[in-house]
Parts: sequence; structure tokens; C-alpha cells
Amino acid sequence: MRTVEVLFVIIILLGALIMAIQFAVLPSPRQAFGTNLRELSQSTLETLDGKGILTETVFKDSNDTDWGDLQKALSASLPPNVVYNLSVYDISTSSGGVIDYHLANSISDAGFGVDSEAASLLATSPNVTFTITPEKVGEKTGENNTLYILNCNDANGWWITGYTGQSLATDIYDLLSPYFTTTVLLNTTDQLGLLLENSTSLEGTIQNAVVMNPFGETVPIPDDYCEGGSHEDEGYYVIAYENDTYSKYCYTLGVKTQQYNWTWVSIVGYPLYYVSNTETFTGPDDHNGYGIHGMIKVGPAGLNAFLRGLDNKSYDVWRLEGSDWIYGDGSITSEIGVVQFTPQALDKCNYYGIYPSPYQTASRALPQSIEVDYHLERWAPIFELKSGYSAAATYRHAGGATEGGALTAIGLTRIPDIRVAVLALLMYYNPTVYRSEFGASCTSRLVTLQLGQQGGT
Amino acid sequence: MAGATIDHMVAVTILIAALLLTMGVYNQMFASAVGYEGNRKIAMKAVDIINTACLSPGNPEDWGETNASLLGFGLQDPQAGGYALSPYSLMRLRTSSDDSQLVEYPPGSGLFYNNISADYGCGIFSPVGDCLNYTAAAKMLGINGTYGFRLDIVPTLDVNVSQVPNEDYLILKVEVRGPGIALADVTLNYYMFQIVPGEGEDDPPSITTQSEIVQTGPYGSALIEFPTITDLNTAYSFLVYARLSGLKGVGYYSHDTIEDDPSYIVPLIQDFKNGTIAIAHTWDVHYFGTPVPNVYYNATFFVLSQGFQLHQVQIPNATGQVNYGQPPQTTRVPAYEAGVLFIAYKGRGQLRSIVLPWGVGTLGVSISFGGDPTGYSFVATELRQVSINDISYQVKVSTWSLSG
Repeated sequence: MRTVEVLFVIIILLGALIMAIQFAVLPSPRQAFGTNLRELSQSTLETLDGKGILTETVFKDSNDTDWGDLQKALSASLPPNVVYNLSVYDISTSSGGVIDYHLANSISDAGFGVDSEAASLLATSPNVTFTITPEKVGEKTGENNTLYILNCNDANGWWITGYTGQSLATDIYDLLSPYFTTTVLLNTTDQLGLLLENSTSLEGTIQNAVVMNPFGETVPIPDDYCEGGSHEDEGYYVIAYENDTYSKYCYTLGVKTQQYNWTWVSIVGYPLYYVSNTETFTGPDDHNGYGIHGMIKVGPAGLNAFLRGLDNKSYDVWRLEGSDWIYGDGSITSEIGVVQFTPQALDKCNYYGIYPSPYQTASRALPQSIEVDYHLERWAPIFELKSGYSAAATYRHAGGATEGGALTAIGLTRIPDIRVAVLALLMYYNPTVYRSEFGASCTSRLVTLQLGQQGGT
Repeated sequence: MAGATIDHMVAVTILIAALLLTMGVYNQMFASAVGYEGNRKIAMKAVDIINTACLSPGNPEDWGETNASLLGFGLQDPQAGGYALSPYSLMRLRTSSDDSQLVEYPPGSGLFYNNISADYGCGIFSPVGDCLNYTAAAKMLGINGTYGFRLDIVPTLDVNVSQVPNEDYLILKVEVRGPGIALADVTLNYYMFQIVPGEGEDDPPSITTQSEIVQTGPYGSALIEFPTITDLNTAYSFLVYARLSGLKGVGYYSHDTIEDDPSYIVPLIQDFKNGTIAIAHTWDVHYFGTPVPNVYYNATFFVLSQGFQLHQVQIPNATGQVNYGQPPQTTRVPAYEAGVLFIAYKGRGQLRSIVLPWGVGTLGVSISFGGDPTGYSFVATELRQVSINDISYQVKVSTWSLSG
């Protein structure tokens, strides 16, 4: 009886064993430890396409001798136990927008076994030039806005560590000039003076222009607007106790911005914190306290005066602090730390192909309260609001006694990333980018290299 | 009663036998699975290592072009990206596993040089103090003590050059092969550097250059004739770049009038960042006895530009004399330009040359770096195609477990 029971147990054990053997199937050694064929395929395609040679070949007629050379090159570059199949597909887009792949040519050296891996490469025809044509800012409205970039060789910058205003001006020119009908570099502070005087001698249209200031927290000032200059009354102001201030110049800039409907762009830091003219400010005390000469500090009064000018308010906000008359209400910015891009900014990064870091540190963010105080509307914010402060946006003057003018303020800490300012401006004007069609027939081909390993189990 | 006992004993015996049998089978299955799992881990580690080596430039990313200490291992060319390796980072690998393979200069100074050598009188002698050794690389990869690895970086194309016996003038044969196949219709861009003795006894030799573009025939070889070189004992160096579709290779051959003697000159890299190279007398590295040759040299640096064109650039101390027991001559090459330093020299009235590739790809130098996998039961390998100085290479990583 016991023997019969044991036989039952043995049957159960054997059944379990057979089932375990059935299900516990180990992968083949080739799958488990074989060379990673997909990566090998990818690296082969990349190295063969060095200097665009593979791309050139795949667009040639299938009878061309280059195909034979490619086949030899493939055979020579792959280990003898690896077989390959290189297929080239022509990509075309039908009128309904459906992308079709048609086999254009294929070369291989043997049939595949059970397993194979493939990698692909998108090749664009060397005979086709893919173009990106940006819409010009103001083209639709007929304004054809001119871009003026301050490139004054007689001014110094601050808060742009590692750069100079002039080098940044060149970068801005490269990035933004395709979007404007006319781009003008103002190479001296005298030329800036012509802009402020609405001179017809300047190229471009001053009305509705964009004025980029790449000097960071400094703004170049023409000699005429300095003490003793012909426009001294628009740039310089002396108050009691012999305290002088160039906040008057910043006020004038605000007035002009409103008057000519400019968009004034400050690329980094606290806007209009210093004024600079290396030819005029030559005294031993004409420096910013950090070793940069040729400039005079205005302080937070500069931005306050600018905003009052923009809002058509009078230049008369003074209060006595100790023995000093202080213009405006002091600093209005705040250090809010790390800020991140809005979804719209991330989207526009892809649209315009500009990729600054989506996380930045803001030490000069502007408060929301200025929108009420100066009748401003916040447009195209790059960063999410944080504690009621905005790190970078364009403030359009859209209320009060008169409308017009805008300030783009990037309140980030140094070192400046000029792409943030460029992105802010493009987000504000939102020009369309017309791209040539990548899916047009015979312009793009998909190359796939399929590899298989012979031998082994 | 006795019948039941016997029944019981038989049953127990059969049960134990069945249990032992099934446990044995299960054990075998488990052992296989554990073995597979262990080997799979090694294979994955091999992928990890080769990706780090080929697709990361290391930290700092320009470590090959400086004398800076390395914080993270990687060999990718930061300028080129993709599967392109830095020709300079590779020069800073300590390929010698044995201290006896190192060169000490000056003798007794404690300053050793690693020799990444190629055939036919060329070599890269890098200061060991600036080189990355295997243990440090393993630590940076996080595998020190757990896995061993070896990197083998070899040119994809085998370009072989040999002199064809001929009584009238010089003929060279260039053969281009892939793995197992001869390659026809390969475009060859060659440079012949003929060494010409100086006018006087103490004048350094000069070089004359010839270059042309030819193609290999149906059997993957080309005969290149030099009817102007009728003295078959002339000293020369021959450099050839081969191109087939996207594949590129390089071959080098030199012929000297000095036989049986060691090279009289050793070029030693002093500083990677500045491209400083010491031209030392071989007897100062290893004393070969008397007579000691006085050596007059002529050093020329050629920058390798796109399309495999060599352009000569001026270098300091391009000509001079190197004496045994005297300080070496020092020259400087453009540190960020890949090329070849070609040194022709004369000693005991005979002519010879030595070449230092600045950037390993310019002369198709092979490199092996890492441990020795011999004796390990399972070694996983991974293979990638890369380019170095635009020359096609294959990188093979072998990986094994050190924990058994």
C-alpha cells in the first residue's frame, strides 16, 4: 500500500519536474551574452557616414559603383560571423499627410538566422537645401519693426561677466537679425543720441523699433545727455545738497520708449542701474565700485524713473533720507532663486530652436505690483511666477494717459545667457517660422542596417 | 506485520531515490540559471563599459589635451561627438602592464615613459605620471575589485606596405584588407619621405616629399613605382591613407640604411598641453656600449588636415645634434593639431627615421589597455565601430568577473 502511495508521489514529482523543465527555458547564449548588434549597427552607420559619405551613396542610382564600394566597406568593417542587410527607404508624404516608405535599394551578404537587430539613420539629400525662413517682425502689421542693438564702443557693461557689451551685441545680431527687416548696430553713444533724437540720418525706422541693450545693468549714455551737454536737461538733474542723478536720463529713455512705441530690452540683472560713457566719465570716482570705470551708479532709481517716463508720469518723486534726496521708492526687485520655464516657453524653445536651460536663478525679479502702478500688461512670461515676482517677461504699457512702449526685463543673475533675452523677444513678437518640407519626395531617405550573428545556438 | 514493514521500507527507499533524483535535476537547473544570470551581468557590464568609453569624453572632457588629473573615465572626442574617440586621450593611457616595459629617462631619475608603439620605427612615449593606469580607470568605472576589463582599439582596415624586389628602382606594394577579404578599388593617398644626407659630415639630413593618389586593383593591392629612386638602400618613410566609401585606414613603412642597431633617437612627450617633445639620445635611455654615435637630426611636423592632406608647420629646434650624456633637444608641436612628427637623423654616416604620431589615429596605432582575461571561465565581449582622427577603428571590450 505504501509502495503505491510512493508511486503516486513519484508521479507528482516527475510531473512537477517536467512542467518546470517546460517553463524554465533559459535564453540562448547568443541572446544572453552575444554582442549587442543594435549598438554595433548604429556605430557602423555613424562611422560610415563620417563626412556624409554614406548619405551621398544612398541617394545615388542603384547601379552606381559607390554601392559596390559601400558593400565592400560593410563587409570589411563587420566581423566575419556577422551578416548584414542594408536597406534604404525613400520617404514621401502624400497629400493627406501620410508618410510612406518605399524600398529604394537593398544590399546584403547572407540570409539571417533566428535573431537579428537593426539600427537606422535618417539621411537627407546632399542636393537639397533645407531652409528655414522666418517671418519678419512687423511684416503682418506693416510696421516692419527695426532692431537697434547698442554696440557702443565708448561704454562699459556690468553684470555681464565674461563678456563685453560689444561681443554680446554680435551674438544678438546673429540670433535676431533674420527676424527683422532691418537691424542696425549703434556703434557709439553718439549714434544712440541720434536714435533718441529721432534723427533721419539713422538707418531703419525709429517708430515701433526694438532697442536691445546688451550692456547688462549698465546703459550707454550719449555725451550730450551728461552734465554740461546740449541735452543736459534730459539726462542730468541736480538737487539740493549737490546730489546729482542720471535717473533723469533713464526717465527720458522711458519717455522715448512710450513716445516712439519702442520695446526696450534689458538682457540681464537690474535694468538701468548704471550709466556709462568711457569718454565722458573719466574721473577717478566714475566707477561702479567693482573696478569698472567709465560709469556712474544710478541705482534702483533708474528703473523707477524709466517706468514713470513710460507711464507718462512726471519726474518728481523725491524724498529726503537723512541728508540725501532719494529719487523713487528704492529697490523694487527681489531675489527669488531658481525659476523654471513656462510650458509656452518650452514650446517656443522647440519652435525657434533656441535651448537655454529651463532652470535659471533670478536675483532681480520684478513684482506684479508694477503692472498696476505703471499701467503695464505682462506678456510672454518666460518663467513661472514665484511669490508674486516675475523673472523675465515683456511689460507692455497699455493704459494710463497714453499707451505704447514696452520693457522686456530679464531679471536673472549673471553670467548672462543671451538666448533667454532672445527667446523673450521672439515670444513677445511671435514671428512665424516657415520650414521647407522634410517629407518632400526624394529629399529624405531612411537607412536601416540589420545585423545577424551566424553560428552559436 | 513483517509484510507491512517490508512494504514501508521499500516505499521509503523508492521515495528517497525519487527525491534525490528530482533534487539533482532541480539543482542542475538552478545552477544553470544562476550561471546564466552571472554571465548575463558580465555581458551587461561589458555594454556599460564600452558605452562609457566610447560615448563619454570623461571629466574634464578635454583631459587628453591637458595634463589635468582625470575625474571620470571616457574616451569620446568632445569636439566630434558620437562614435569618435579622442586621439589625445588615448595617448594618455598607460598601456604597459609591466614596469619592465617602461622607459626611464634620464636613467636613475625615476621619470618613466609608457610606450604605445607601432611597427617600423614609430612610437608614442608618454610620461607615466600623466598617464591613466588600469586600476584608476577601473575605480572611475566603479568596477575595481569586482570586474576586470580590457580595451582593444585596432584599425578596421589592415593596410600593409612592403618593398618589392627590383633591381632598377624602388617599388612598394600596398595591400588593403578587411577581416578576411582583400579590398579592391580603394583610394590610396600616399606620401613618400625620402631622407637625403646633408652636404657635410655634421649636417643633418633633409627630406624630400612625394605624394600621389592611386587605387588598389582587383586583388586589393597596388604597386607604386618610384623611378627616381634608383638607390635601393636609400632611407625613406612611406605613409599611405586608404579610403573606401566611409572606411578609412592608414599604413606606414620605413626603410633605413642602418642595420642591426637600435634606433639612435627616442622622442619623449614632455607636456601634453604645450605639445613639448624631448628628442633624446637612445644611449641615454639604454646604454648599448661603444662606439656611441653622434646623431644629427631634422624634425618636421605635418598636420593632418581634411581629405588626408599633410601640411608642414614650423617647429622650434627643427634641426640639431643629440649627444650621449647631454641634455635632450626640445621641440614643440601644435598641441591641438593631430599630425605626425617625422624625425630623420644621421649617425655613423648612416640614415634613419623615427615617427611620433601626435594623435594615435594619424598613424593607425593600435592600443590595448586593461587587464589580462586569461584564465577566467567567462569573458563577455562587445564591439563598436569608431573613428579616430577620421580613421576607422574597432573597439573591443572584454569583461570578466573577478569574484569567480
